[in-house]
Amino acid sequence: MSVVTRPRDSGLSTQSQGFAIVVDGLRKRYGSLVAVDGISFRVKEREIFGLLGPNGAGKTTTVEILEGLRGADEGQALVAGIDVRKDPDKVKSMIGVQLQSSAFFDGLNLLELLDMFGALYHRSVDAMAILKKVDLTEKARSTVSKLSGGQKQRFSIATALVNEPQILFLDEPTTGLDPQARRNLWELAESIRSEGRTIVLTTHYMDEAETLCDRVAIMDHGRILAMEPPDTLIQRLLDKGFHKDRVERSANLEDVFLDMTGHGLRES
Amino acid sequence: MLTWSSLKAYFRNRGAIFFSLLVPLMIMGIFGLINFGNSTPSVNIGVVDQAHNRVSSTIISNLKGIKAVKLHTGSLDSEKHELQQGSRDLVAVLPASIGQGSTAITAYYNQGNPQNSQVAIAIMNQFVDRASFAFAGITPALTLDSKPVQSRNLTYVDFLVPGMIALSIMQTGLFGVVFTFVQWKQRGILRRLMATPMRVRDFFFSQLVTRLTTVALQIAVLLAVGYFLLHFHFAGNVLYLLIVGIIGGGIFLAMGLAISGASKSEETAAPIANLISLPLMFLSGIFFSRSSMPEWLQTVTQYSPLTYVSDALRSISVDGASLWAVRGDMLGIFVWLAIAVVLATRLFKWEVV
Repeated sequence: MSVVTRPRDSGLSTQSQGFAIVVDGLRKRYGSLVAVDGISFRVKEREIFGLLGPNGAGKTTTVEILEGLRGADEGQALVAGIDVRKDPDKVKSMIGVQLQSSAFFDGLNLLELLDMFGALYHRSVDAMAILKKVDLTEKARSTVSKLSGGQKQRFSIATALVNEPQILFLDEPTTGLDPQARRNLWELAESIRSEGRTIVLTTHYMDEAETLCDRVAIMDHGRILAMEPPDTLIQRLLDKGFHKDRVERSANLEDVFLDMTGHGLRES
Repeated sequence: MLTWSSLKAYFRNRGAIFFSLLVPLMIMGIFGLINFGNSTPSVNIGVVDQAHNRVSSTIISNLKGIKAVKLHTGSLDSEKHELQQGSRDLVAVLPASIGQGSTAITAYYNQGNPQNSQVAIAIMNQFVDRASFAFAGITPALTLDSKPVQSRNLTYVDFLVPGMIALSIMQTGLFGVVFTFVQWKQRGILRRLMATPMRVRDFFFSQLVTRLTTVALQIAVLLAVGYFLLHFHFAGNVLYLLIVGIIGGGIFLAMGLAISGASKSEETAAPIANLISLPLMFLSGIFFSRSSMPEWLQTVTQYSPLTYVSDALRSISVDGASLWAVRGDMLGIFVWLAIAVVLATRLFKWEVV
């Protein structure tokens, strides 16, 4: 029995035209602070779409609105063809969410937690298969508190995969992880995308955005400043005459670290 | 399913179980064994027998037969010494001339301890009168025939155990919820759950079932310990006890939710919970009866939720009351439940905004 399945045919409405997410004129205000200032963008199916920007740029708020966790003041957001402002619960059943600081009940082990999450979507899950996918089978009977940082993030993603979502939201998934764990997670993200899912990633790690994302939207002060594939953005900057003073070598210290501590991607 | 997971998670949390069960057990054990309540009063009477004849020995054996008297015998000097030490409340001297004509029995009593010595004097007076009549062969015109009215022998334990049960229900409700929910909220556990299609009411329901199951277990354990170890006289219906206990538990669970909703962290939540719990604990007739409080305080504490719960539990356990008989307390319980639920729904927030 294979756990890798193609997402169900989403039956996106014609309005979405084959886009996983359509955002139009989204606005959200907290008192006098405008967190999201009338942004519009579209995420294609099966792409890894990145929201990049400094803290306070409005990327987390945007994503929370798309996840149905927060209300918007104005604008439209269609997620998997469904208007998230009108029917957030339906959207929730079709997406997977990995929150930045996820935590889980201490008294349950990983398998039990996955079963519990499955029940929330009214599904029975093959918990071991999901754990295998995120490479956590040895820790199946452990509790979350006993996992390392990287393992916790992988488990967090595992809970987001329980309902075989069409769209996966990852919120700063590699914050606080060491280089090996980060590489590990990037590989996981790629494998998820190769199953046919769409990923929306928020990050403030530039190398992550460069490596993983097909397209990147750079946000600041609640606005989208640019939305292109990373290479295009970099090329455009170079064309403007940008020149780095320091000579870039084709390897850096991180590469040295990885080379010396082993390609086997060891993790405690 | 969510309920089942929640139950499993709760019972594996050994800390929670420890506090909800062990603390009331300990309190009950300590208080039950020390027995702060009234013990059978007794007076220490010393008799100095200077006659050593049949009359005096009859007197002595008759005195021994009085239930309230602890009788000691000895020489005049040693008994007077004991009296001064406070080990005797009264020392009676039977002179050598006793039984021959009219004799005066001298009684020395301890002025420093008026309560007990008065009792001792009264007993001696009564004894002396009776004895005099008997010696003189006179049948007194009037006799006093005292019959005890209280047919049950209630002890402090009978007062204490229902109160302990009520107390543990309150502790579980308040602290059980406050500590877990605030932690969960802080750590984003609740937020993660909200990202799923889970409905709020399903979550609350599963938590409610978990907590109330704990309450029911607590009641059972405390009752069993009280009954088997402390000779608690249980005259009531266990089912009624459980019903009242669970509904009462609902009050404190809702209060706990209200507190966790309004607090950002344990540091703010814990003091609030204690602020509610401690006064209630001491003023609701748990450790001592409210009748020993000043009038105004009695009126105020009458309306405390814990008073209603513990009074109802006590009536059921000790008087064997039915649910209908405690309807006054039940009304109070339901009113408080409504208040607490309203507060909880208004105040509870899923995340630290």
